[in-house]
Amino acid sequence: MLCRFPNSYVVNVVADDRPGIVAAVSKAIEQLGGNIDACSQTVLGGYFTLIMIVSFPEQLDPEAIAESIKKADTSGRGYDVVVRPTISPDEFVDRPESDRFVITAFGKDQPGIVRRFSEYLAGKDINIVDLYGDHSGDEFVLIGQLEIPKSWDIRMLQADLEQIGQELGFTVKLQHENIFVATNQLRLYATPPGQTSHAAHRRDSVHH
Amino acid sequence: MLRTDEILSTIEMLHAEHLDVRAVTLALNVEDCAAPSVELLCRKLRNKILSRASRLVEVCDRVGAKYGIPVINKRLAISPIATVLAGHGQTAALQVAKTLDSVAKEIGVDFVGGFTALVHKGITPADAVVIRSLPEVLSQTERVCASVNVASRHAGINMDAVHEMGHVILEIAEATADRHGFGCAKLVVFANIPEDNPFMAGAYMGPGEPEAAVNIGVSGPGVVCSALKRRLAIDNTLTLGDLAEEIKITSFRVTRVGELIGREVAAELGVAFGIVDLSLAPTPTVGDSVGEILRTLGIAKIGAPGSTAAIAMLTDAVKKGGLFASSSVGGLSGAFIPVCEDAALADAAGAGHLVIEKLEAMTAVCSVGLDMILLPGDTPPETIAALIADEMAIGVINDKTTAARLIPVPGAKAGDWVHFGGLFGSAPVMEIRNAGASAQFVHFGGRIPAPLQSLKN
Repeated sequence: MLCRFPNSYVVNVVADDRPGIVAAVSKAIEQLGGNIDACSQTVLGGYFTLIMIVSFPEQLDPEAIAESIKKADTSGRGYDVVVRPTISPDEFVDRPESDRFVITAFGKDQPGIVRRFSEYLAGKDINIVDLYGDHSGDEFVLIGQLEIPKSWDIRMLQADLEQIGQELGFTVKLQHENIFVATNQLRLYATPPGQTSHAAHRRDSVHH
Repeated sequence: MLRTDEILSTIEMLHAEHLDVRAVTLALNVEDCAAPSVELLCRKLRNKILSRASRLVEVCDRVGAKYGIPVINKRLAISPIATVLAGHGQTAALQVAKTLDSVAKEIGVDFVGGFTALVHKGITPADAVVIRSLPEVLSQTERVCASVNVASRHAGINMDAVHEMGHVILEIAEATADRHGFGCAKLVVFANIPEDNPFMAGAYMGPGEPEAAVNIGVSGPGVVCSALKRRLAIDNTLTLGDLAEEIKITSFRVTRVGELIGREVAAELGVAFGIVDLSLAPTPTVGDSVGEILRTLGIAKIGAPGSTAAIAMLTDAVKKGGLFASSSVGGLSGAFIPVCEDAALADAAGAGHLVIEKLEAMTAVCSVGLDMILLPGDTPPETIAALIADEMAIGVINDKTTAARLIPVPGAKAGDWVHFGGLFGSAPVMEIRNAGASAQFVHFGGRIPAPLQSLKN
């Protein structure tokens, strides 16, 4: 991802969901002379969260950007804003070459589910790049999209995760992401064989 | 980034509906194994198979685990054995078969196909050796599968070969009488045999194929049936067009699974990726049944009027979905209706709803033929040959593959149930009306000429 201007920042906004938040935030960025280079937004349980990469021709104080965004709110209900300058690509933790997998876990909800699985993954240096969890009928469904270092034997990880699942009364599956791409999308692979891994791709993706 | 609903729908298909890859078949050219002495021939065969296929099972299991999809059967298909047996006799044929059997066991594949003779226009001495050795080969080996192509669109039907097969099938049944004639389950008689079929017992590596290739048979009918039932449960306004669309979408997804796994297995083995065979291949497991799909499509008694139309729609929709999913479709690609291996079909035959004449009509619109049909033990060889001839005619005239896998059960009469167990299931012996009444037709012999390729009405 290329940024329009040399000085880029990451902006995070949290609010109770209502129409007009994106309009207010984007208006503030524009008034500061900035550009929105990337954004992602979701609503969960009635709460809104937004993450953006924005860039400006001049260097600005992150606090000042946050204040401008807050002032742009017209509803009077406010929102929380965090702004940080982005770091340069070589400051990212160097990730080992990895493959994308998806973990899915289904079972009766109880405290500690996310902790048990994420703790295991963290211990294996496995990065979670997307996480979803919600109730579905009587069950809790947890889906994580993961970057797994190529050095791991997937069948060993599967055996460990199934064991944790058994202890928690959860059905757990760990599968390469291409099976989901192939069965849902028009293409067969997320990344054609032989191209760069996701981790390497991401490291290259933010620069000033 | 993948969407949550995409992940959830795939998970449902894989785990709730038991999607799997039915067969990964490594096809291997063995023509260079021909040798003047049978010992050398067997040694070359064994060495070639070991060097090219010994990693097949391990690779399939590893790739299957990576995607969370089991590969149920790992198999081997070789060049028609008649090509390497030229110049040898029946003793050599049996020795070669036993070598194939033991090497298959050694590398962990459940079947090796290719004990094959292609005789649609004429029979060479080597073909005759293969055909005459079948009773011994299929009774004394466990994993060797045989096929004989007796008809083609260009040659017509070799009725001499058809007649011969009528006798040979009975001999195989007698040689395996202690197993209810089970040897016949490992032999398929074809019209227009496909060169790249991954399914047993008819898999072999045909002419025009590369040195080695991986061919894939995708999942069974259970997934299609579940998808239809799920749609019907939430919507009572569906038409047959809507149901065909659902079958098509499911077939697309299932085919993609096969393609993904096949390509990766082929790459790991360092061989070409051949084809995905779209066939819906049932197993005796309840729910994994083409018959169950027909019931879901509203045919209360399988074999009732409408059965042919329903299976025609099913087969066509499966092909349409599969062809869009993969550019490498081949093999048989249709819906199998093997009575023995499909619990719902076997029940319908047992209840008298499904008769052999209706099955034959259904094979005109779906692949692949009269498959796993149990016959009374006293069925005359000419009648077995005539049953084969009818099925071959459907293939030749309609420009499609058809096949016959007929099992005369020694000592059994119509209505008796026979249990083979495992993947081969159980079924009643079918009633053959007018047995013996085709003898003169068969005895004429010769060749039924190739049919017109135009004026197709």
